[in-house]
Amino acid sequence: MIVAEQKSLEEIRRMIAPYPRVLILGCGTCMTVCNAGGESEVSFLHNSLRLAEVRSGDGIHTFTEHTVKRQCDPEFLETLSEKTIDVDVILSLGCGIGVQAIAEYLGDIPVLPGVNTSFMGMTKESGVWDERCAACGECRLEDTGGICPITRCTKGILNGPCAGTKNGKCEANKDVDCAWILIYKRLERLQQLDKMRRYYSPRNFRAIPRPRRILSKVEIATGESDG
Amino acid sequence: MNLTNTSHPGIHQEDASDHSLIPPCQNACPLHMDIREYVSLVSQGRIMEALQVIRMGNPFPSICAYVCTHPCEESCRRAQVDKPIAIRSLKRFAVEFGGDRMIRTEAETKYSDKVAIVGSGPAGLACAYYVKKIGYPVTILEAHSDLGGMLRVGIPQYRLPREVLDTEIQRLTHMGVEIRTNTRVVSLDLLFELGYKAIFITIGAHQSLRLGIEGEESPGVIDGATFLREVNLGIKPSLGRRVMVAGGGNVAIDAARTAVRLGVKHVSIFYRRTRSEMPADPQELEQALEEGVKIKYLSTPVRIDRENDRLKMTCVRMELGEPDESGRRRPVPIKGSEFTKEFDSLIVAIGQAPQTPSDFGVRIGRGSTIQVDPSTLTTNRTGVFAGGDAVTGPATVTEALAAGRLAASRIDDYLQHRYPLPVKETNEKLSGELLPKTIEMIRKIERSEPLSLVGETRVKDFETVEQVYGWEAAINEARRCLRCGVGVEILFQDKCATCLTCLRVCPYHVPRLDNTGNINIPADQCQACGICVAECPAKAIVLRKPFDRRQVSEELTHTIKLATESKNKPPIIGFCCQYGLFGTGTLSRLWRGAKAGVTIVPVLCVAKVEANHLLSAFETGAEGVFIAGCGEQCARENTTYWVKQRVEKVRKVLRSIGIEPERLQVFTLGTAVADPTEELDRFIEQISALRLSSVIKEEAIS
Repeated sequence: MIVAEQKSLEEIRRMIAPYPRVLILGCGTCMTVCNAGGESEVSFLHNSLRLAEVRSGDGIHTFTEHTVKRQCDPEFLETLSEKTIDVDVILSLGCGIGVQAIAEYLGDIPVLPGVNTSFMGMTKESGVWDERCAACGECRLEDTGGICPITRCTKGILNGPCAGTKNGKCEANKDVDCAWILIYKRLERLQQLDKMRRYYSPRNFRAIPRPRRILSKVEIATGESDG
Repeated sequence: MNLTNTSHPGIHQEDASDHSLIPPCQNACPLHMDIREYVSLVSQGRIMEALQVIRMGNPFPSICAYVCTHPCEESCRRAQVDKPIAIRSLKRFAVEFGGDRMIRTEAETKYSDKVAIVGSGPAGLACAYYVKKIGYPVTILEAHSDLGGMLRVGIPQYRLPREVLDTEIQRLTHMGVEIRTNTRVVSLDLLFELGYKAIFITIGAHQSLRLGIEGEESPGVIDGATFLREVNLGIKPSLGRRVMVAGGGNVAIDAARTAVRLGVKHVSIFYRRTRSEMPADPQELEQALEEGVKIKYLSTPVRIDRENDRLKMTCVRMELGEPDESGRRRPVPIKGSEFTKEFDSLIVAIGQAPQTPSDFGVRIGRGSTIQVDPSTLTTNRTGVFAGGDAVTGPATVTEALAAGRLAASRIDDYLQHRYPLPVKETNEKLSGELLPKTIEMIRKIERSEPLSLVGETRVKDFETVEQVYGWEAAINEARRCLRCGVGVEILFQDKCATCLTCLRVCPYHVPRLDNTGNINIPADQCQACGICVAECPAKAIVLRKPFDRRQVSEELTHTIKLATESKNKPPIIGFCCQYGLFGTGTLSRLWRGAKAGVTIVPVLCVAKVEANHLLSAFETGAEGVFIAGCGEQCARENTTYWVKQRVEKVRKVLRSIGIEPERLQVFTLGTAVADPTEELDRFIEQISALRLSSVIKEEAIS
């Protein structure tokens, strides 16, 4: 899941300042799960902004709220056209993908990001989320006992541990487990310690052509499909 | 107060559909009373409303408050955790403190068809009450000099004070029920000739069964029903110093305890089975033992010889054999175990049967009971209905009341030439058993019993043994209720992101993932604490509507509207828990504080107050907002933790928009009796100071 954190109220207020009529748009998938932009957060932000308006006394803003199932698919955005008739700006509480999907779908209305999209991760406990994947495009979890050294090691090294490991913790942060100690222990349990003895060549940092695209269908030449 | 109109604002019957699970207590009650609701009202200190709910389901709650055998407590799910809720004692509390005595019931006569009720036991009285309420002229015909049937002549005064019975009967008189005492009905034809269009036979089961042993006719042998009747009618039979009571039911215990109160030194109950098979109420048995009654199990008299004015009883020891038709193990005499004991008298209390005059012409079935159709209570004679012990054999007061109520509606159907309406099918399900993992998480809270008179004191007279609860004890006892079946439901399954927040925050481990990957919150396990509702990021969960309360947001809107109309300024809005004494004594003090601009939003547990509610309160212009919960006393788990989480979240917003975070406070009260007004006063002062400083700041700027 994509994990994000809501931007501070100050920043959001600064962003919306030029736009009197704001639609706060939630996302019912990842942003709901990571508590950054689901219906409940949309409504809380709505209330907070209104209260801020009342207190500041300028009161030029009006707010509406809406939550779609998923912002990153245009089909879910079809309902937006009617919601945006009297709207000057959309404050999206979707992740960065959601914000862009809306911008692409509704060409004439500015879209503002209400959250900082942070990482791909998982829930540790209610209210706590941890990063787990860097989307590097070269997954090596097979060799590392299912523990990703790129996200979980502070230095992201592929042949660890480094000399900074101490009592199973990282030298950079004593509260963080050393990823390579975790990898070692896991491989030991799986009786695959030989994988620790291998050398892994560095990742290719040079050129990841962006934006990346994945094709899971075959290109069919024109005319061929008609036959 | 007029209670004939059932459409009380706030209290309703139609909303029952909101609770889709029937709690087991209600299911076990022959009258199907809304026990969960009135217990909840007691726990909020709303005694008058509790009484209204009780009266809706029960024509004579004050009688039940003393003598009900409380099958509800037997089925209470709290028993799976520790001990059942003391429902009957709570009802007694509501009846006495809610002022049931003062309630007068009105009834109008709408029809001319007269109804006769033969017998004035609980079934007859209940039938008269309801038939009269529907609008028919009713006459009760009673053979004895006073009304009440077994309530008058069977149940001893220490269990049911006669003033209570008299009050209920006065209520009937006030409603216009015609009463004819000392009138034994010998022929139903005569009643029809007198113009009665329908007759309800409820003559009870007053005929004692006999042991069928040699010497049973001897002087000094008396049957239980006769003995109790004589004592209850003011005759004091002389029993001597040593009395044997044969039997193991409630009548045997009543007879023994009555004998003790008449001054008999040695009272022994002989019962042919063991304590676990004894049909008597365990509490009554316990109280009898406290009063010095001896019980000999597995023994029964087989022969009585009268010698020198005393009864020489030959008894035999028994052992338990195979189970009989009643499911209890059959007692079998042990050969050669005979022994003799001397007594001055013997009270035989081994059961009773109805005795229906043959001139009634109704069909009699097993155990001399009148045969009826169980769903219509009709007998083989047109226009003749029967119910109560005369039909069922000796049973409980509540069952008799239920029969009386059923008879009333069936008589109404008959007189209106309506086909009896089938019992309304509902889709309501019974809440099931609690799961072990739920039970584990529910806090154990000791059941508090009302005080009883001490054994030595109470045997001197016929004073009521069981006393009524005090306020604090009653409210604390009512708060133990698990509110079975009013839990949450996922209303918007399509909104649910399956984020598992509910599963993670539930203190009782109730939500679970089903094997299709959907979240399921089983209503019969849910404790209705409301935490998941407030924490759900998708707002997909709602609580089933509380009994007669608005949801918090509606309550907030309503309260604020009222406050705005009365232009209270500067308002301080407080979300206050309604449970416990906090909801009454303290709340009323807080209301008095309302002069200073404090507006209270009543909530049923502060765990249901969401961060958004707090913001909304500020948005209405409140200078200060507080949450007052009952802290340690809360019967639910983790309440304080979640309140603090939400308060911190809101304070962060306040800070960022220039509102002092101190304007939002949480009061957690240590004890029920602690006075929160002091803390509140300090808060008000603090708010006024903040207000003053902000005014000065503004002036300085301008």
